[in-house]
Amino acid sequence: MFCLSELEDTVRVPPSDLNLPLEVAIKKALQKLFLDKVLSIGLCVAIYGIKSIEGGFVLPGDGAATYKVVFRIVVFRPFVGEVIAAKFKESDSNGLRLTLGFFEDVYVPAPLIPTPNRCEPDPYNRNQMRWVWKYGDDEFIIDDSCQQIKFRVENISYPPVPTERAEDAKPFAPMVVTGTIDDDGLGPVSWWEACAPISDDED
Amino acid sequence: IFIYVFFFFNSKSFPFFLFYESKHRCEYVCRVKANAGALTNFEVLDLLNSRGASKDTTRVIASETVSRSEYKVYDYLMETAASTQTRDSVTKFSDKCKGFKLAKAEILNIINLRPSSDVELTPILEKPDEREIDIEGILALVQELLPPLPTVEAHKENEQEETEDGEQPNMETSV
Repeated sequence: MFCLSELEDTVRVPPSDLNLPLEVAIKKALQKLFLDKVLSIGLCVAIYGIKSIEGGFVLPGDGAATYKVVFRIVVFRPFVGEVIAAKFKESDSNGLRLTLGFFEDVYVPAPLIPTPNRCEPDPYNRNQMRWVWKYGDDEFIIDDSCQQIKFRVENISYPPVPTERAEDAKPFAPMVVTGTIDDDGLGPVSWWEACAPISDDED
Repeated sequence: IFIYVFFFFNSKSFPFFLFYESKHRCEYVCRVKANAGALTNFEVLDLLNSRGASKDTTRVIASETVSRSEYKVYDYLMETAASTQTRDSVTKFSDKCKGFKLAKAEILNIINLRPSSDVELTPILEKPDEREIDIEGILALVQELLPPLPTVEAHKENEQEETEDGEQPNMETSV
């Protein structure tokens, strides 16, 4: 889910931070710049460490010192085929939306929900639709009573920044993970809990 | 650009603004190495712990070193298998896994999820039928080396880990 990335960047340390030890001031500036932002390599989660600092020049007209820093960050970038546990966030007629707490744009589109299924208006929540999986004679509901939902990553995309937006459009998601729950062991964990204690039966 | 930035700061599209700023950043940042190594959930949790993150709800003491967004990652990881793992168990496990012909990504996934049954392990593996993978062996190793999952209060039953050698499980609903 996470990996390290080494980056090099020019960091500007504001004059108010110049009394702090250099590493602390640079780390503070790096955190402000990178933490919780999506780069082309993924979502930056934490600064791992600083490898080298160079420079410290003060450019004319500016009170801040500018440093060239090589540092490593922890990036959230799941690989395709990875199985991740998430929680239910909301669902609509296009599919499900799951959340990881720190990352909320995991979508499971309708074709990747196990079939046969149907989508019905949620009786408890007027604006939402609810997905129900029909297996044999039983029906399994997907909603926020599911503790954990496991999905497998199908694709990660970084939609380009839109130039215009409608007033009521959803906040722009710079990184979107598409997942599937259509396989053994995927989907709400409660669906499979009943299977675990079964003793082996050979074919 | 500065006026533009100010306008966005006041509008509702706050997250939009943050990304826009960082996209600009991307053009200047030069990547020395995009992938300097994959990290297990355990290693990330370890990093956050070493900075002082803790389960304490007030979170005032560590707020100097651990930011709010890092805490969200911490909260997520504390509910996964990573919260009970130790560096020793994870290293030993990945060493012993070499005998099972698994891809590095699959080993990472197994460490992160700690599957305790056949049905939990199969979605992690790629084309398990074609590769003759020793599923029972892997599950036995998981059971032996990796600590059990944390018991969440919301879980009605305690996970009784048993190695599973079942074939296609029958779906039984708990009525």
